[in-house]
Amino acid sequence: MTLTQHVRNGWYLGAWSDEIGRTLKQRWITDIPVCFYRLPDQTVTAVEDRCPHRKYPLSLGHLDDEGTLQCDYHGYRFDGQGVCVGVAEQADRPKAALRRFPLVERDGAIWIWPGDPELADESLLPDTSWLTDPSWTHVHGVVPLKARHMLLLENLLDLTHETFLHPTSIGNAAVAATPIDVTVDGDRVGFSRRMIGIEAPPFYEKSCGLTSPVDRWQDGDFYPPGIFVLNIRVAATGTEEPDGFHMKVLYGMTPGRGNETHDFYALGRDYLIDDQELTKFQHEQQLAVMQEDVDALEAQEIMYATDPGGSAESSIKSDLAALRGRRAVAKMLAREQRAQQDARVPHSRASV
Amino acid sequence: MTSPSATAPDTRPLGSAAAGTPSGTRRGTEFEGTVTVLTRQAVADDVVSLELAASSGEPLPVWQPGAHIDVVLPTGATRQYSLCGPVGDTAHWRVAVLREPDGRGGSQWIHDHVEEGGELRVRGPRNNFPLRPATRYLFVGGGIGITPLLPMIAEADAAMAEWSLLYGGRTPSSMAFLPELEGHGERVTVRPQDKHGLLDLAGFLGDPDPSTLVYCCGPAGLIDAVEAHCADWPTGALNIERFAAAAVRQPADDTAEQPIEVELRASGTTVTVPPGLSVLKAVEQAGVPVLSSCEEGICGSCETSVLEGEVDHRDSLLTEDERAANDTMLICVSRARGGRLVLDL
Ligand code: FES
Ligand code: FES
Ligand SMILES: [Fe+2]
Repeated sequence: MTLTQHVRNGWYLGAWSDEIGRTLKQRWITDIPVCFYRLPDQTVTAVEDRCPHRKYPLSLGHLDDEGTLQCDYHGYRFDGQGVCVGVAEQADRPKAALRRFPLVERDGAIWIWPGDPELADESLLPDTSWLTDPSWTHVHGVVPLKARHMLLLENLLDLTHETFLHPTSIGNAAVAATPIDVTVDGDRVGFSRRMIGIEAPPFYEKSCGLTSPVDRWQDGDFYPPGIFVLNIRVAATGTEEPDGFHMKVLYGMTPGRGNETHDFYALGRDYLIDDQELTKFQHEQQLAVMQEDVDALEAQEIMYATDPGGSAESSIKSDLAALRGRRAVAKMLAREQRAQQDARVPHSRASV
Repeated sequence: MTSPSATAPDTRPLGSAAAGTPSGTRRGTEFEGTVTVLTRQAVADDVVSLELAASSGEPLPVWQPGAHIDVVLPTGATRQYSLCGPVGDTAHWRVAVLREPDGRGGSQWIHDHVEEGGELRVRGPRNNFPLRPATRYLFVGGGIGITPLLPMIAEADAAMAEWSLLYGGRTPSSMAFLPELEGHGERVTVRPQDKHGLLDLAGFLGDPDPSTLVYCCGPAGLIDAVEAHCADWPTGALNIERFAAAAVRQPADDTAEQPIEVELRASGTTVTVPPGLSVLKAVEQAGVPVLSSCEEGICGSCETSVLEGEVDHRDSLLTEDERAANDTMLICVSRARGGRLVLDL
């Protein structure tokens, strides 16, 4: 069972701040085309990328210095609020406005809420202060993935795959051999795994200058539907907090169009923050590891897509976090669909 | 896995990342290092008690009743065991380990490899099950769940509080530390299941009493039953410690021995599920098709809506909230409390 429909009442990473400027950028999010841009006061805006006239993509249009967006098909023009302010052909203003999405720009990330704007609640966002905290440094980016969001989610919630898929970098036998604790808090799913006195995987050996044995901790938190934060620490065995090396990885798992997903990532650390070489090495490694995941998930996507009837899957105990993640998303989706249905039930007129 | 778990599966605060501090920080006066096994003693069928001392010869940290230590196995796995020796003995720690053939292998490893004179890596102590002051205590222990209660009893006794213990297990020979409990006379009620059947929780717990605290540790089924009995007690009166993942394929308590009646409302039929047969199998035998895959309470494919009756959840997948809602169950492993269920099948 793998979901292909998307939860929309939730925050997704829509873009990194440095991706969006005074040019129009299209990005599909939960099957909705979205056009991102900045107004002259630098505030970021996201509107549905379909012109209300004949649905031409607004991202193929123009943004002028006053922040007026013009559709380049027949010339509809929209102000900063997305309200149509005119069209070249006629004097009166067509009645039209663009759908605008709730956005939060914080710590260099732009979060978008593609669903009911009334429900957009900033408090559901994870803490990202480490992305701008001067005692941390990080790299970030986005990788395209031709696989459904749920496969990425399960990939991140079940890190036992590191042992098999990433043996030359971050995985070794200790990962799969150590059981995890899984916690659920409302919709959120967390897991933690403590690997004590293990052989240091190559990435950590190089990143932290450590030799085996090491203690390695992984604490993952899934903020459904699309945010995952991994806390990593590695320390020489026997040393305790705060001697460990801390890293954090943020993943924005943002459904795109069809079964495509934007795989946003940020990898941060709180040690040797001025070491550019290390930053470069870690970024390369991060991308190499993600490529291994992308290749695997794209291969897996084909297998799910060509088996729509869904032959039974087999599951094992280490799937628990991923299975709970699935349930969390499935429940959100069910809630959303129920709410939509309720909204469609015609209200009988109240008798006065 | 039958060690009382310190990290009850569903209690870790999730906001850790959101709080800005990287999660998982551990601090304080914990010991982390190597201990030597001074004695290893069989204290019941498949239960060994281990007496440990710091290999360095240094004193061990003090601890409070309810505390546990992590034993870090060479496999990298960690298991929690309650400290059950005398509080205040900083030279020795005592833990008891039940061999669990169906567990994840931690207890088996200890049973098979730990010898007197050998060494173990441990961490702790930590306490998620502290004893709070009260004038009266009711202790309910099931099987190896007796371990955290032993130091609690000693403490209650020393404080001259009123207390009693109800101790259940499969058979007398499977119940550890009976000789130690003997000296307490009528305060201790030992009720092996082979002779007495279900624990009489109603009789033992009685009516809610604001001056009484209830402490329970044991298999999930027992804890669930105690929770049900204490539903209308004041908040905080009941204190429990669950075994990690105890819900998995454990004959949780006596209900496994009872046949249950399951009405399949949509199909208009009723099946009787004898002990030893899963609800899933009984339903299939009745000719009602159901999806299933793992048959271990992991995958969720056999999830079924519950219309009536109280579920005895034995799966690994459902969250505490989902369990408490009692409107769904994984029929490959879960059973009924109260002998009857109505399912939407
Ligand atoms: S489609 Fe945009 S103006 Fe016609
Ligand atoms: S068959 Fe997998 S949970 Fe029941
Ligand atoms: Fe991976």
